[in-house]
Amino acid sequence: MKQRQILKLTINGDDYEVLASPRQTLLDVIRDQVGLTGTKEGCTTGSCGVCTVNNDKGEAILSCLTPALEWAGKAITTIEGLENRGELDAIQTAFVEYGAVQCGFCTPGVIMSAKAVLNADSHPDEEAINDGMAGVLCRCTGHIKVKEAIRSVALTGK
Amino acid sequence: MLLPEHDFQKPADLAGTLALLQDGDGEIKLLGGGTDVIFNMRGRLFQPDILLSIKDLPELQQVVELSDGSLSMGAGCRLTDLERHPLILIYPGLVASLRAVASRHVRNMATLGGNLNLDTRCWYTNQAAEWREAKGPCLKTGVDVCHAIKSSKVCVAINASDTAPALIALDASVVLASVDGERTVKLADFYTDDGMHHTVRQSNELVTQIVVPPVQGRMVYIKETARKGNDFAYATIAVWADGQADDCTQIRIVLGSVTMRPVVLHEAAAVIAANGLTDDALEKAVAQVRDELGPLTNLYTPAAYKSRISRSLVTEALQRLRRQ
Repeated sequence: MKQRQILKLTINGDDYEVLASPRQTLLDVIRDQVGLTGTKEGCTTGSCGVCTVNNDKGEAILSCLTPALEWAGKAITTIEGLENRGELDAIQTAFVEYGAVQCGFCTPGVIMSAKAVLNADSHPDEEAINDGMAGVLCRCTGHIKVKEAIRSVALTGK
Repeated sequence: MLLPEHDFQKPADLAGTLALLQDGDGEIKLLGGGTDVIFNMRGRLFQPDILLSIKDLPELQQVVELSDGSLSMGAGCRLTDLERHPLILIYPGLVASLRAVASRHVRNMATLGGNLNLDTRCWYTNQAAEWREAKGPCLKTGVDVCHAIKSSKVCVAINASDTAPALIALDASVVLASVDGERTVKLADFYTDDGMHHTVRQSNELVTQIVVPPVQGRMVYIKETARKGNDFAYATIAVWADGQADDCTQIRIVLGSVTMRPVVLHEAAAVIAANGLTDDALEKAVAQVRDELGPLTNLYTPAAYKSRISRSLVTEALQRLRRQ
């Protein structure tokens, strides 16, 4: 079907029904239809990772390279889904504490990538952190403080 | 930027998919994880009439050991799932090639079938549509001109699959299904010397499984890149051999990401098979490499560098193999 069609998907635990066209990616739907603009559009080629969201298994995926209709009936988590009743997630708090944010544009993608690392292994080693973070780029401040923040969450086990 | 206009189809099963491949109107592009297809649609390199999603087909998800001990992997399996699968961990060379693909983010989406069918890439064509307009179209985009090698009559875009060289070295085959039935093709014969029609897959066919013979011998896999993660290769090499140390009578040497297809180095392999992995044989084998490489272009590295790095990688891989 070339026309817009009803797309049902679950974002951050909430069910949505939106009119989506085959021309839209998951990123377009999250930002333009659902109005969750925390997830950013960067390179749109799979290089920068700032559009990262988590799939139903808590893994990092690139919303810019996913056709929206491919995701019918599935669930994702975006940066807005991490806070719980006004409390930041442990990884968000760690990013604040360790100064792992500079301009902030990549931060939603970096945090969702970090969250995926911790979802897979609550005590990731250096290799697991590098593996999970290689697909997302910060052009301001580098990845040292980001990795410190991830390690701090792994140590406190929150 | 929105994707080009198209019809999105996602049949529930393989039969429905094959029927659509046979009878669908216009150009059909198969969609696996989308990490290459959607990228190329954004660049208006792909403008299919139908985007046919096959990633979630239940028939394409199995990883099983066949009765003869071979490994069968469904084409729709994600690279992330394969690189951790117990039946695949016993093939370290294959695992290395799976882990070499792009980033964790991409491997969480990309499928093995997709990586093997990955479209060829060229420094000229794989740019934004506006960029290409400045110099005009090429063989891949509708005219009889190649901008990468001016005199070339065929498209010389590079096959950049990281897993193909490893699977060819392991003597793997692919199963192609259509409404007419199935056929099995050795992966070494799956690719062609034409960057435009770079596989022997017919338009009504679909790769459903990848079959690897039982584990034996030893293997080395190296991907040479500028950065450790999320990068296309300068070149990749996969070498499989029998025997131990210098002793070797069967060997397969495969280079990837240097030309239109993964290159099986028959002559270099013949030298090693006849003489073993001796210093002398290594030197002779490396001297044969350039003759078998095919046309070289400037994607990611200058063409001359591809010839040099190919020789270096053959040397390095054979030396590592000897230590196994």
